[in-house]
Amino acid sequence: MTTNTLKQPRPDFINIRDFSFFYGKKQALFNISMEIPERQVTAFIGPSGCGKSTLLRNLNRMNDLIDDIHHEGDIVIHDKSIYDPHIEVISLRKRVGMVFQKSNPFPKSIYENVVYPLRVAGQNKKHILDETVERSLRGAALWDEVKDRLHESALSLSGGQMQRLCIARAIANRPEILLMDEPCSALDPIATVKVEELIRKLKEEFTIVIVTHNMQQATRCSDRTAFFYLGKLIEFDITQKIFSNPSSKQTEDYITGRFG
Amino acid sequence: MPTHENLPEHATGQNRFRTAPATLFMDRFMTVAIKAGGALVITSVLGIFVFILLQIWPLFAPASVVEARNIQLPDNNYSIIGIDEWGALPFLMEPDGKMLTADFETGEIRKIPIDFGENPPPKFTATTLNKREQDIILGTNDGRFFMVSPKYSSSESDGRQLITINPKASPAEPIGIPGQPVQTIAYGESGSQKLVVAIQPDGDTNRISASLYKRKRSLMGAGKTALAASFDLTPLIPGTPSRIIVPGTADSVIATTADGKVHYLVQNGDSGFSLAQTFSPFSDLENPEIATAAFLFGDVSIVFGSESGANRIFSLYYPEGGDKRLFGLTHEFPSLGARPNFIASTLRNKAFLLGGGNALSLRYSTTDSIRWEQGVPYDPVNAVISGKYQRMAVLDSENKLHFFEIHDPHADSGWKALFGKVWYEGSSAPKWEWQSTGGSDDFEPKYSLIPLIFGTLKGTLYAMVFAVPIALLAALYTSQFLDPGSRAMIKPVMEIMASLPSVVLGFLAAIYIAPLIEDEVPSLLLVAAGLPIIAASIGFVWSRLPIEFRKFIPAGREWIVFLPVLLGSGAFLWSLGPAFEAIAFAVTDPATGQRVGDFRAWWPAATGSTFDQRNSLVVGFMMGFAVIPIIFTITEDALSNVPKSLLTASMACGASRWQTALRIVLPTASAGIFSALMIGLGRAVGETMIVVMATGNTPIMEWNIFSGMRTLSANIAVELPEAPHHSTLYRTLFLGAMVLFLLTFAVNTVAEILRQRLREKFKTV
Repeated sequence: MTTNTLKQPRPDFINIRDFSFFYGKKQALFNISMEIPERQVTAFIGPSGCGKSTLLRNLNRMNDLIDDIHHEGDIVIHDKSIYDPHIEVISLRKRVGMVFQKSNPFPKSIYENVVYPLRVAGQNKKHILDETVERSLRGAALWDEVKDRLHESALSLSGGQMQRLCIARAIANRPEILLMDEPCSALDPIATVKVEELIRKLKEEFTIVIVTHNMQQATRCSDRTAFFYLGKLIEFDITQKIFSNPSSKQTEDYITGRFG
Repeated sequence: MPTHENLPEHATGQNRFRTAPATLFMDRFMTVAIKAGGALVITSVLGIFVFILLQIWPLFAPASVVEARNIQLPDNNYSIIGIDEWGALPFLMEPDGKMLTADFETGEIRKIPIDFGENPPPKFTATTLNKREQDIILGTNDGRFFMVSPKYSSSESDGRQLITINPKASPAEPIGIPGQPVQTIAYGESGSQKLVVAIQPDGDTNRISASLYKRKRSLMGAGKTALAASFDLTPLIPGTPSRIIVPGTADSVIATTADGKVHYLVQNGDSGFSLAQTFSPFSDLENPEIATAAFLFGDVSIVFGSESGANRIFSLYYPEGGDKRLFGLTHEFPSLGARPNFIASTLRNKAFLLGGGNALSLRYSTTDSIRWEQGVPYDPVNAVISGKYQRMAVLDSENKLHFFEIHDPHADSGWKALFGKVWYEGSSAPKWEWQSTGGSDDFEPKYSLIPLIFGTLKGTLYAMVFAVPIALLAALYTSQFLDPGSRAMIKPVMEIMASLPSVVLGFLAAIYIAPLIEDEVPSLLLVAAGLPIIAASIGFVWSRLPIEFRKFIPAGREWIVFLPVLLGSGAFLWSLGPAFEAIAFAVTDPATGQRVGDFRAWWPAATGSTFDQRNSLVVGFMMGFAVIPIIFTITEDALSNVPKSLLTASMACGASRWQTALRIVLPTASAGIFSALMIGLGRAVGETMIVVMATGNTPIMEWNIFSGMRTLSANIAVELPEAPHHSTLYRTLFLGAMVLFLLTFAVNTVAEILRQRLREKFKTV
C-alpha cells in the first residue's frame, strides 16, 4: 500500500480530461474536465439523471459491466490512465473502493464480508484478516456494535449498520480512493449522521468522492462540490463558495431549490 | 372546504363508494370455484393413490383357504387320492384296485369299476400316482404292474360344468423278479421315456428293480413306448429303502432309507444308474428319520418332513465351482409341530400342503412363506391339490374327505419375493432377480424389484455424471461470462432442447449413437479426457496473452476464438482413437493370432465384465442430453437472479469475474442450483423412452458402464403389454410404479428440506 498520508496531498490526484460517455447512442457525459484533490471529500451534486453517478462509476470502471458503452477523453489517477490496456481493471478497483447507494452485504458473516477484498487478493493469513477486520470495523465506527457477533450473518444487521459494514468492506484493503454513491439515501437521519461523521474522519486517509442528493450533506462533509446538469459540469469549486456564492445561475437555482 | 356545486352527480353521490354487485358475485364465485377445484385435484390425486394401493395390496395378502364341504367316505384303507384339473371330482383308490369318487358339488360317492381285463382280477400290493397326468400305477402280487388312466372329461350341462371319470387300465407289464409281489412301486414319465421302479422280496432281502421304457419316434407321429432296459438297483442303495421316488424327468431315482439318508441315483444313458449323492436332510436333528418326502412342481426340489415335523427343501443345482448337479438345502420352514403325514404339491406353482397332527399348512417353497396354516379337529392323512391350485381335498384318519377352496392368486409374491434375496430353483445361491416370463410351463417367474431399483439408480447416476458438470458449467459460463448478445441466443435454444421428445432422443441413441460408441470407445475416451484439459489450457494461454491480442475480442465473446480451437482439437483427438486403441487396447485375434486393437474384445478380457452395444454409456450420454437443458435453464435462472448489487459489490472489491462467480454467485444461487439438480434427477429417474430404446433392458445388477440396465419405468413400459389383468406381474408393475413414486418422493422431500436450509443461509437483502 502507498504511503500517501506522508506526502503532500496532490491537487490533481484524479484528473478527468475532456471526458464524454455514451450509453449506446445516448450521450450521458459531455466533455467533463476536472481535477479532484487528494485526501479531500469531493461531492457531486445535481438533479437526477445529470450524470454524476455515471461519472463516479467511471472512476473505477464499474460501467464496464454494462453492455454497449463507450467513452471519449481520459481519466488519469495518480498519473496513470485508467483506460490504459495494460492496467488490469481488477487492480484499478483495488485502488478505487466503492460504497453503493443500497447497502449490499454478501450473504456471509460480518467477518467474511469485511475480509472479502483481502480474500480475493489471495490473503488468507488469519492474523492479518483478524487485524483488518478490527481496523476496518473501527474505521467504519461499527466495531463496538458487532465485535461480539462477527460470525453472525451480515444480514442480521440494521440498515445503517449494513451500510457501515459496506464502508468497512470498501476500506478493508485500504484503497487510495473511496467512491460513495449516495451512501445515505436509504438511511434514517441518525444513521446518516453517523455515516457523515465517518466520511469526515475517513478523508484523513482516503480521497473521497461522494454523490449526493442532499445539499446539506454536501455542505456538512465535503471540501469541494461539483454541480452537474444534463451531463455537463456546470461548476466545481470549494464547497463553501458553491453554496454561498455560486458563479452560475443554474447552480444557484438548484441549491436554492428552484428546480431539481 | 371546497364546494361540490360544480361537480356532476356521479362524482358527489354516495354511489361512488358502492361495490358493484357483479364484482362481489364474481369475487365470491371465484373463491368457491377455486376451493372446489383445489379439493377436486387433491381428491383425484388421492384417488389415484388409493387405486394403486388397492392394486398392490393383494401381492402382500395371505392365502384364503376355506373348507367348503366334507364328505364321509366308507371305511377303507385308501392308498392314494387323485383329482381332476378343476378339483370337482377327486378319486381314491382302495387296496383291492377299486376306485371311489366323491363329487364336490353334490357330495355323491360313487364306486367306479375298473376293467383290468383279467379273471380272476389281479391282486394289488402297491400303488402310486403319477401327479402330472393323475395316472394310477398299481403293482401286483405276482411281479407285474398296471397303469390306470382316469380319463376325466368335462361337459356342459344346464349351464354348469359336469366332470365325469372313465378310468381305463392298460395291459400289465412285468417288472423285476417274476412272480414276486411288488411291495413298493414308483413311476416317472417324461415326454420321451418312462421309468418304473419296484421293490420286491428276494429271499431274505429286497430287490430293487428299474424298468426303462422309451418312446419310439416315427415319421407318423408319436410312436409306442417299449421296454428299453431293465436294471437291478439293489447294489447301489445301502440298506432297505423305505421310500422310492421317481421324478417327472424319469432319469433318476430318489431312495430314502430308515436311517434318514437320501440316495440320489442318476441314469447314465442306457448303461444303467449310478449313485450320485447320498445326503441326510435332518442329520442335525435328534431323530433324522424322514417322515415324508415329495417332489415339488418342476421336479427339481424335494420337500422333506421329519418325524418331529421339521420341514426342509433340497434342490438340484450346480454348487459354486462344481460341475455336477446335486441336491443342496435351499429352503427351511418352521416345524409343523407334529409328524407330517403327507406332502401334497400342485401343478401350478411351488406351493405344497403339509399335514399331520391336527394341523394343515400351505407353504410356498420359493419365498419361504407360509401362505396359510390352521389347526384342524382331525388328523389329516392324505391330501391332493387341484391342478389349478383352486381346491384341495384332505382325507382324515376317520375317512372323512374335506374340500377346501383356495384363493391365493399371488402365492409367488410377498415381501421376500419382491425385495429379498430368493433362492430360485436351479441357481446356486439366493439372488435378486427379475424375469417375468419364461419358455416352459414349469418356469417360475422372478419378481425382485431390487435389480430394477438398481437399474434406475445406475441409469440416473450415469446420466447425472454426464449432465451435471456440463450443465452447471455451461450455466455458470452463460450467466456470468458470456456477453449478453450471445446469451440471448443460447437460452432459448437450450429451452427448445428441453422440449425435445425423449422418444426422439431414444431413437437417436439406439440407431445412431449406440453403434457409433460401440466402434469408437477409444476416441471417445480420448476426447472426454482431453477436451477439459485443452479447454483449461486455452483459458490459461489466453489469460497470458498480451493485451494487444486480447483487446480485439470483447469480454464475453472469447468463445469466438475458443470454439474453433476446441472443435479442432476435439476432432484431432477423435481421429487419434484408432491409434490409441491399437496401443492401449490390444488383444490377440483368435482367427489370425495377431495383436489387434479392439476395445470391444479388450474390455471383457481385462475386466471380466461384458461389453454390450446398448450400454449405460449410451444411456448416460443420451439421458444426459435430456437432463442438461433442464438443469441448465433452471441453474442459469438462479445464477442470473443473484442481485446485481452483489456482483457490483464483489467487483468493486477487486474480485475477478471468476472469483465473483465462485465466491458470491454460486453460494447465493445454491438453493436454485440445488433445485435444478433435483428436478434433473427427477427427470432422469422417471425417464422411460430413452432407457427402453437405448439399453438392452437387461435386469442385471452390476455397475459396469458397458452393460445395460432395466429401470423401473422402462420395466413398466416393456412388461405392460405382457401382463394379464390382475396377474402377479400386473400388480408388480403397479408396485414398481409405487416404488418409483416413493423414490422420487423421498428424494424430493430431502431436497426440499436442504433447499430451504440453503435458501435461509444464503438469502439476500
